[in-house]
Amino acid sequence: MRAKLIRATGLGWFSVALVLLACAEVRAQAADMKLQAYLLWGTDDTKSPEGKAYKPVAPEILHKLKELPLKWTLWFEVNRKDFAVSQGAVKEVPMSEKCQVNVTKISGTEVEVLLIGKGKEVVKRKQSLPKGEMLVLGGNAPNSTAWLVVLKRIE
Amino acid sequence: MTATDHSSADDRTLVRAAQRGDMAAFEELVARHRDKIYARAYSMMRNEEEAVDLSQEAWVKGWQRLRQFQGEASFGTWMTRVVINLCLDQLRKQKRQRTESIEAMDEESGGVERQMPVVTSNPTAGLERAELRQRIDRALALLSHEHRTVLVLHEFEEMEYKEIARTMGCSIGTVMSRLFYARRKLAALLADLKKQD
Amino acid sequence: MDFDAQLKLQAFLDGELPEGEASKVADWLARDREAAALLEELRNTRGAMAGFEAGIQLPESREFFWSKVQREIQRRETPAPKSAPTPLLARLRRFLAPASALAVILVAGAVLIRPAGPFDHAHTAGIETALADSGAFTYHDYSAGATLVWLSYPADNEVADNDEAGTIE
Repeated sequence: MRAKLIRATGLGWFSVALVLLACAEVRAQAADMKLQAYLLWGTDDTKSPEGKAYKPVAPEILHKLKELPLKWTLWFEVNRKDFAVSQGAVKEVPMSEKCQVNVTKISGTEVEVLLIGKGKEVVKRKQSLPKGEMLVLGGNAPNSTAWLVVLKRIE
Repeated sequence: MTATDHSSADDRTLVRAAQRGDMAAFEELVARHRDKIYARAYSMMRNEEEAVDLSQEAWVKGWQRLRQFQGEASFGTWMTRVVINLCLDQLRKQKRQRTESIEAMDEESGGVERQMPVVTSNPTAGLERAELRQRIDRALALLSHEHRTVLVLHEFEEMEYKEIARTMGCSIGTVMSRLFYARRKLAALLADLKKQD
Repeated sequence: MDFDAQLKLQAFLDGELPEGEASKVADWLARDREAAALLEELRNTRGAMAGFEAGIQLPESREFFWSKVQREIQRRETPAPKSAPTPLLARLRRFLAPASALAVILVAGAVLIRPAGPFDHAHTAGIETALADSGAFTYHDYSAGATLVWLSYPADNEVADNDEAGTIE
């Protein structure tokens, strides 16, 4: 009798846990995705170019960049945008006069990112972007420097 | 050793410097042989991304094992063996079973290739080098991993039958059957491609 | 021609036959047109393969490829930091609480159909459509949780200003 009572109570709590998990899953799919986009400039020179007051890049971003096969030792933040994108919507995020990134939330963690440079569509990428992870699009810039557009999911 | 010295040094000198920890010397070796190592990985894997990854891994392993290299073969040959072994490990892991087991049955009974008519005209005659390369590329892509591997090891790595057998972990008879099948199939594929022109 | 004879022809072509056998095959080839035709086919195929790899080039720049190799070498050569030993009771306590939570999650996970989690390889592999850039390549670092897509086109850049040296606005 006692064993049956313990089993029933256990099963009850287990069912509650399952229901809560299922609800959380549904909420996660529908919720807006919060992202940060950075436009970064990479160089081996210790200072920003003349007339430009670029900030050093945030430590948590720098830490992840150091794990990637990029040769530049210094990264400066040219621009940063915080935004949210809803399910199925396209968020256009201008990063500079010449650069824009369009982000579409496809599902719970899946996004499609379109990079537009000087009015031309450069690359489109579809991938999963869990919380805390980054997508880094980059290329060479004049004088052996580099540019990066970093997309980081924060929520 | 300066950067200028590296570019004019021979492989043996660079290897000795790299064995003493000179990473710039190793970089020069990588620059000299990277295409060859990649080409070997690509011939075996038929996938650009995989071939790049395996080439990279081969170079890392090359650095780690450099002290073991005693100059018994050329450095380039030694490195191609490193990448070949990595490719073989990768192919074993992938285990594409179904189509290959059917082909294996055919080749072991001497079935399919015995029935292929002999290709009498040279399907590569009159072709420019680039076009020929393209056709071989397409034909190689249609072979199974096992058959392609034997062909690559024999034709490009210039291994003898018994060495291929040891590398692939099979009998010499199997090597001979697979090589024969691969060559006949390639001839038929090249002839087909020529007919399509 | 039986299969063994065909394999013998191949071995003859590849120089794998002992001298005595090789001369017997040479005599046979002089008499048998079918065998000679098969040998010719095998020879043509071998000739076609020669030099095939010479045109294949690694599709990454010297610098980029080397930076990946170097980074990986350094990563493997850097020993992992050792942490101070923790008391047994603290270790047990740390184990028990998450273990029970994990048990609930594992059972729930087996029941629910979940979308791909952060450690699923298919989840991290994205799909790229290179539009202006046909030479883009991708690198994913699982420990850092970052994916790099490096665009090789154009030689300058799509987002930087070519007129002002060193700027990207």
